[in-house]
Amino acid sequence: MLKLDRITKRYGTLTALDGVSLEIAPGEFFGLLGPNGAGKSTLMSLVAGLRAPEAGRITLDGRRVTAADPATRISLGLVPQAIALYEDLSAEQNLQIFGELYGLRGPDLRARIDEALEAVQLADRRRDQVKTFSGGMQRRLNLVAALLHRPRLLLCDEPTVGVDPQSRNAIFDFLEARVRAGLTVIYSTHYMEEATRLCSRIAIIDHGRIHALGTLDELLARLPFRDEISFPATPATAELAARLAAHGQIIRDGGTHRFRPATAFRTSAFYALAESLALPPRLFVTERPTLEALFLHLTGRTLRE
Amino acid sequence: MRIILTLLRKDFANFIRDKAAVSLTFLVPVALIYIFGQVFGLNRKDSGPTGIRLAVVNQSDNPAAQQLVDALKAEKSFRVLTNRVNPDKSERPLTEEDLRPMIRNRDFRFALIIPRDVIATRGVGLHLRILSDPRNDIETQTVNGLLQKAIFSNVPQLLGQSLQTSARKHLGNPRLDQFNGELAAAVTKAFGGDVEETKQALAEGDFGLSALGAAGQSGQQGASADFFAKVVKIENEQVVGKDVKSPEATRVVGGWAMMFLLFALSHSAAAFFEEKKAGLFQRLLSAPVRRAHILWSRFLYGVLLGLVQLTALFFAGRLMYGIDVLGNFGNLVVVCTAAAAACTAFGMLLAAISPTAAAANGLATFLVLTMSATGGAWFPVSFMPEFMQTIARFTLVYWSMEGFSQVLWAGQSFLQILPTVGVLLGITAGVMAVAVWRFNRGAIFD
Repeated sequence: MLKLDRITKRYGTLTALDGVSLEIAPGEFFGLLGPNGAGKSTLMSLVAGLRAPEAGRITLDGRRVTAADPATRISLGLVPQAIALYEDLSAEQNLQIFGELYGLRGPDLRARIDEALEAVQLADRRRDQVKTFSGGMQRRLNLVAALLHRPRLLLCDEPTVGVDPQSRNAIFDFLEARVRAGLTVIYSTHYMEEATRLCSRIAIIDHGRIHALGTLDELLARLPFRDEISFPATPATAELAARLAAHGQIIRDGGTHRFRPATAFRTSAFYALAESLALPPRLFVTERPTLEALFLHLTGRTLRE
Repeated sequence: MRIILTLLRKDFANFIRDKAAVSLTFLVPVALIYIFGQVFGLNRKDSGPTGIRLAVVNQSDNPAAQQLVDALKAEKSFRVLTNRVNPDKSERPLTEEDLRPMIRNRDFRFALIIPRDVIATRGVGLHLRILSDPRNDIETQTVNGLLQKAIFSNVPQLLGQSLQTSARKHLGNPRLDQFNGELAAAVTKAFGGDVEETKQALAEGDFGLSALGAAGQSGQQGASADFFAKVVKIENEQVVGKDVKSPEATRVVGGWAMMFLLFALSHSAAAFFEEKKAGLFQRLLSAPVRRAHILWSRFLYGVLLGLVQLTALFFAGRLMYGIDVLGNFGNLVVVCTAAAAACTAFGMLLAAISPTAAAANGLATFLVLTMSATGGAWFPVSFMPEFMQTIARFTLVYWSMEGFSQVLWAGQSFLQILPTVGVLLGITAGVMAVAVWRFNRGAIFD
């Protein structure tokens, strides 16, 4: 069990984390969703013991995580946002170095290296310099380098930045398999699709504060609307948009109107209004709201801002 | 044209923001021009070497010999030592017996002995002895030239005395007095002046030859210079380094090696920033690794790399120029290790105080070149003004070169090199203490 209790971290006058409290159970795939500068990486670095908070306390299985106590670090692995590998060395040499830092030696280490390289489909490139790898291959190696010592908690700080879709899916499959095997993962991202696909619970973080925390369904239930109806923004739909403003939230998103109906406003009433304005049903698409919508609702800005 | 101007503006904007490039373009050349200017005496009234320690033992009771000592004392190139300090802090005049051990002990590198028989008893002529440790060729040649100048300027009177002594021996006092009297009368009759004063001057050996001496040393009259060279017998004795197999190469190899070592280790300092940028410190520090592990492993890496590099350079010197590396190999390794440690500490300090890799590289280039220049890697320290000679003693280049010279040139023992090694290790400890302090306060591990 990882527990963060009222954690505050400042950089000069900037408060990066402001009284953050979290509890993450063993085997969870926990997501930290927020835009750049929200405090995700700071939170990761505190859990990893790289920095010390100004206030609050972090415990892992009841043992306090501090910068001065490397013992707890055996229990966790960190996948940094950057590709933290020695690019002039081979994949095998990198894993050997990182394994030895965790006290692994001899046949056990060799077996783990073989297993790790097989798992991320890099066994045939084991003796090649990392700098000759594609971005996706480097990301995969970056990931398994943090797992060689078989930690109980894995901290993934935006591990798919700049990765092609194929490698991204390979990373997702790999992580999901590990979580099924009992690994706890904290996964920070600003891609809502990643959080939606991977995470059993998600914390939405912005300006150093947790704005919402729960499963995807629990989070979306916090929205004041269940569905989102979008339609083209044309002169023909202008009157519809104007009338809908009285029944919910209407947002102009480029060439599209997004209508988020108030709870009391029924979908059938929407279509009746459209029909009265002679607008055909094919113009309208009804979707389940996304985490992006929730983020906007909670913070007043988008994840990409 | 507009496009060219836009691109030109971009280049200048980039340049101005790149502090390393700006310092390499302006600061480094200005600093080096200043140092070279000081060495070559540009805009200095007192150009040339200053403060070279010269021991003088005057065994003669001849007043002209003392005059020569005074002339040397007045020469700004020399710091003349005539006394030595006893253990109880009292002073006594230097003796010839003191000189060789003190030269070997590096108290000074040059000594002049004016022997009791400075004026030859057989025939006409003078006899002087110079003891030296010619570890630096340029300095040795310069000192010899300066000594010859001083001696030749004062030789005519001594030479006159030599003539008087020889004449007295052959003619006897009464006949010599008569000869001097008649000569003084003839001189004053032809050129004016007082007869008694002229006779006294002749008796003291002043035949008006000092003009010839001055001309001889300035090279204006080759014949008189040759004449003085023939009648003044200067006996040179090399106290240190006479058995060195390849003296020229042995003298310079230390300075070159140091400069390249500093460049290599400064480059490795920049690797700190590359590792930070790559997120490797995050990965390492999230493992059971402490900052101290990273710093001291990097320090050991630098020391070992420096040791291997220096050893390889010295062996290359052995292969190419026959430098005797193996003759004192154990002590050479000790000095190389201490020098590599000091250079590594210097590199780590650069990484600790620089905000970026570019800044570290710029600062490294500036400091390596200025330290090499002021520390004596390019030219003798004695050629610089005295305040720069003082600064030189605070550079690791100076002490490393001292160590190499002690081992390769003077063949000194472990106990003899220990003070120099101690200074280098002291520099290492001091610089590392500052570097570690800065690393712990800085942002490189964040």
